[in-house]
Amino acid sequence: MANEIIVEPDLQFTKDLIKAGATDLKKCYQCATCSVACRVSPDNSPYPRKEMIWAQWGLKDRLLNDPDVWLCHQCNDCSTLCPRGAYPADVLKAIRKMLIQKLSWPSFMGSLVGESSMAVLALGIPILVVLLMTYFSNGFTFSSPAPVHYGQFISYIPIQVIYTLALIFAVVSMVFSLKNYWTMLDKNNPPTAQEPRKGFVPSLIEALKEILPHSTFKDCEANYIRYVAHFMVFWGMIGLFVTTAIVAFNIDILSLAPPSRGGPGTIPIKILGNVSAIAFVAGLAIMLVRRLGSPEQAGNSSYFDWFFLWIIFGTGLTGLITELSRWAGSVSGAYFFYMVHLMFVLALLLYLPFSKFAHLGYRTIAIAWGKSVGRKMTVPVVPNFAPPIRAEEPEAAKEATV
Amino acid sequence: MEPKTGLYIDTGYGIGEALDIEALKGVATDEFKPAVCKAEPYWSDPDKIEIIKSDIANEGLKAVVIAGPSVRVYQDVFKFDGVITERVNLREHVIWCQPANHEDTQMLAEDYVRMGLTKVTKYQDKPPFTEETVKSILVIGGGAAGLTAALDAANAGYEVFLVEKEAELGGWANKFFKAFTGEPPYDQLVDSPLKSKIDAVKSNAKIKVFASSRVYAISGAPGMFDAVIRPDGPWIDELNHKQDTWLKVQLARQKQAQEGGVAEAQTDEEKAAAGGWAVGEELSLDFPHEKVRVGAVVLAAGWRPEDPAKYESLGYGKYPDVITNAQMEELAQKGKIKRPSDGKDVHSIAFLECREENSENPFLNNSYVTCLVTLKQAKYLRESNQNGRAYIFYENMRTPGQYEKFYQTMQDDPGVFLSAGKVVGVSADGAGLAVNVKDTLLGEQLKVKVDMVVLATGMVPVTEDSAVVNLRYRQGPFLPKNPYGFNDSHFICFPYETQRTGIYTAGCVKSPMDFQGAESDATGAALKAIQCAELVSRGEAVHPRAGDQSYPELFITRCTQCKRCTDECPFGAYDEKPDGTPLPNPTRCRRCAICMGSCPERIISFRDHSVDMIGSMIKSIGVPDEYSEKPRVIVFICENDAYPVVDMAGINRLQYSGFVRFVPLRCLGNINLVWIADALSKGIDGIMLIGCKYGDDYQCHFVKGSELASYRVSKVAETLQRLVLESERIQVFQLGIDEYGKLPDMINGFMDTLSQFDPNPYKGF
Repeated sequence: MANEIIVEPDLQFTKDLIKAGATDLKKCYQCATCSVACRVSPDNSPYPRKEMIWAQWGLKDRLLNDPDVWLCHQCNDCSTLCPRGAYPADVLKAIRKMLIQKLSWPSFMGSLVGESSMAVLALGIPILVVLLMTYFSNGFTFSSPAPVHYGQFISYIPIQVIYTLALIFAVVSMVFSLKNYWTMLDKNNPPTAQEPRKGFVPSLIEALKEILPHSTFKDCEANYIRYVAHFMVFWGMIGLFVTTAIVAFNIDILSLAPPSRGGPGTIPIKILGNVSAIAFVAGLAIMLVRRLGSPEQAGNSSYFDWFFLWIIFGTGLTGLITELSRWAGSVSGAYFFYMVHLMFVLALLLYLPFSKFAHLGYRTIAIAWGKSVGRKMTVPVVPNFAPPIRAEEPEAAKEATV
Repeated sequence: MEPKTGLYIDTGYGIGEALDIEALKGVATDEFKPAVCKAEPYWSDPDKIEIIKSDIANEGLKAVVIAGPSVRVYQDVFKFDGVITERVNLREHVIWCQPANHEDTQMLAEDYVRMGLTKVTKYQDKPPFTEETVKSILVIGGGAAGLTAALDAANAGYEVFLVEKEAELGGWANKFFKAFTGEPPYDQLVDSPLKSKIDAVKSNAKIKVFASSRVYAISGAPGMFDAVIRPDGPWIDELNHKQDTWLKVQLARQKQAQEGGVAEAQTDEEKAAAGGWAVGEELSLDFPHEKVRVGAVVLAAGWRPEDPAKYESLGYGKYPDVITNAQMEELAQKGKIKRPSDGKDVHSIAFLECREENSENPFLNNSYVTCLVTLKQAKYLRESNQNGRAYIFYENMRTPGQYEKFYQTMQDDPGVFLSAGKVVGVSADGAGLAVNVKDTLLGEQLKVKVDMVVLATGMVPVTEDSAVVNLRYRQGPFLPKNPYGFNDSHFICFPYETQRTGIYTAGCVKSPMDFQGAESDATGAALKAIQCAELVSRGEAVHPRAGDQSYPELFITRCTQCKRCTDECPFGAYDEKPDGTPLPNPTRCRRCAICMGSCPERIISFRDHSVDMIGSMIKSIGVPDEYSEKPRVIVFICENDAYPVVDMAGINRLQYSGFVRFVPLRCLGNINLVWIADALSKGIDGIMLIGCKYGDDYQCHFVKGSELASYRVSKVAETLQRLVLESERIQVFQLGIDEYGKLPDMINGFMDTLSQFDPNPYKGF
């Protein structure tokens, strides 16, 4: 038989998945309510039903090479409708976590970020680095006369060096992991009917066309507010990234003073930065409130979720407070929160490829891979759709088709 | 008229408004001259009952006819000691289904009154059948069900004889490694819980246990069964062989008879088996035995594992590590599960509860119990080996009721892998085995490598191999079987019954059941057995006509030894005398009167039901002349299901032709062809017979009554030809008790058919 598979269940993998948040995966009895309920699952071999039984049977290789886990946007429709309480959305989430950890390079970073027992160390590193930077810049002098001059509180040079290195580390690590992932998907998935396959770049462009406007995310109607929140965070983050890049370019390349120093608040770069920051923080606040307030809709939140969410929220929030402190004329407040902000930013950069943050890379790659092999992601859902009744074909026509 | 009769017409329920009551009274008094004829509303009211009672006392009434609501209501109210009570249904069968104040409605009511008054003239005064009976209970089988039945019957005060073929009591349930708790949270297993029950049985003074023994023979009838108990030995194989040969010959003869030939017995043995079972044969008891007389029997003989030989395609017999679930129990009892072939630890097992893809042998006897055993044995492995893997491939996974909790528990175990599927093959793979399965829940064909394969073989009732009860009935030593191989009864409604009165099945001999199910089933069977012993001691029938004190009487001098009654009785109530005439056993009789219908000489009658009675009722129907365009149709209905259907049609005010006259029978199999001849020769235009559904999933209370009726009616074509009448004038219909909505179409459709023919030319003769 061509498609006979030899099953050697990996009991440990199933146990690990259960530990990683898929606590109820064994409860599934394959009724397929989840796949029917999902608004974004493709018609052809839909998820999450198949992932559920693979997880039950400990088919590790199947699951880790399954791009579909990234097509899920975790709207939790499947989990709320599951008659058995198996929480398929949590299973897919746990698989995604396992994948990020597995592909981590260097690998110890995966466990550093993913294991709650390592929390102290994971949080300690950026805190310590920033504290050291602060100490060696001016020895924790929070009280100095106005105006606020961050460069005097912590000199730019170590920040530039350390943060640039962290970013390079993150990007290299991420690219390395993603390249592995792409190769893995190619190697371990059966060849598809669609030939020739699209190349990486056109697939990526097609994927981005879907990701940037969040068009698939928007289809998860059951959880529309999550789409709004994520949209805000996503574009807020891009706005902040652009702002930071322009400012850094101005300072480092053009040697222009940062606009915060004396410039009017209405210059475009400041508007972009502030609007982005507000969108970013507000979006994250929505997510946090939902996770804390209605876990039945948001799904179970694991350490892995909280770790990333609090760090990214902390980054935005401390940034905003720093600015507000400066406006309020509290120099020491601005300096203190600036320091904390730097800690968050460093954690965010450093752990990007290993935390949930990595989903921005994996999801993009998985969607792009899907585009390259022609996996249709969404099929429009028509409410109350009833299939048309076809008239009985005449016998002759039937024979002709045969 | 004789007997002295009082007619009480109920004018309540709208009867008074819909009918001309004075005319109705006129018909009764003119034609029958009853001693009392009164019309008032609601005779069921207590003060009205008093009026009837005083009439009985003052006028010396011997019979009372109430014309009002259906006989199915107020049965306990219209009950007068020593007085024949007859009911005429003017409500459900007349005014509720016919237009009010219509000429035809009035004629219908008049005919029913005539039939009721005629019927009471045909009652005979006979005491119930009583003979000296005993009330002790014989329990066959000492497993979970048998022990429970014995204990329950003994605790209710009845003497019990318990026969167990093995040396030790307990049966299968005692041999299992673990059993289900039957208690919340339903996710654990316990040691077999039978021990205390065995001790209780052994120490009970009212129970006499015959271990290592079997029932050699049971003769007699309820209340007076004589059971011969004989120590187990090779004799059972001889007896089984003799019985099987007899059955084979009988079946061949039946088949031949259907195909219209005569079966020739080949060997001497077969020739000897050509007659009825045990007819004219003295029971010789020249061996050690005990003879006990009992009132009723509980058959709790249990089951045996299905023969796995036919599962060769699943590797049984070929690989020593392919075993059955029964063998798995033994293996688990020895501690850590080790492989039969090399004694190594078992790390993975494939449980196969599905057939091989091309196999014509599904696990026929697979049941929910087999499913549970599979789950249970998966737990054995998981508890014996931390890293053990149990693959369960099933065709159906059935875990009814609270067992769902156990299923969920096993499903939650990461080491248990469940999937539907079909086995492609089992093969050797290194030191272990490889199982290929297709059509799995994974959507693909799988290959799993395992140390051992366990086949989930089913539970076969022991009655498959042996009669067990070894009856000395003319109809054979066996309890008749249904198409699924279990003892036949009316399983839908009366699960404890068998086709042999006084013998009640319990436990896995009836159908696969779990431990708790077998126990509660045994309690029910014990109660049925007690009920039977009590009823026959009073000369009353058992289910479904419980309490009926009439019984069949044969005017034997006119018997032609045709043996139809002995053959057709669904309950084997008739044995055979040496001269070939039937030997009735009244306590075996269920009073269905199928024999009455079968007898061509019409010599079988009951005190309150006879060929003459029904014939006279038919003759009392007024038949208008052929120019009136008022045809008449007699509808024979089974009073168990069809009669309530007609009542329900009335309750729902369904309207149908007013030309039909319903005649209730005890069972449609009660139909005697002479009534059809009587009706046709009187000018009745058509005859309908409405009975229960028959076939493999029959609904007949008496198993095969409606089937017999349609067989008999198929033979009247000749009579019709002689009378120069169309054969479509007589039709048999099957109607379920819930199908009252179909009744009007059934009747009106038949009337349409009749309208194509001329009126019956015999009108007015």
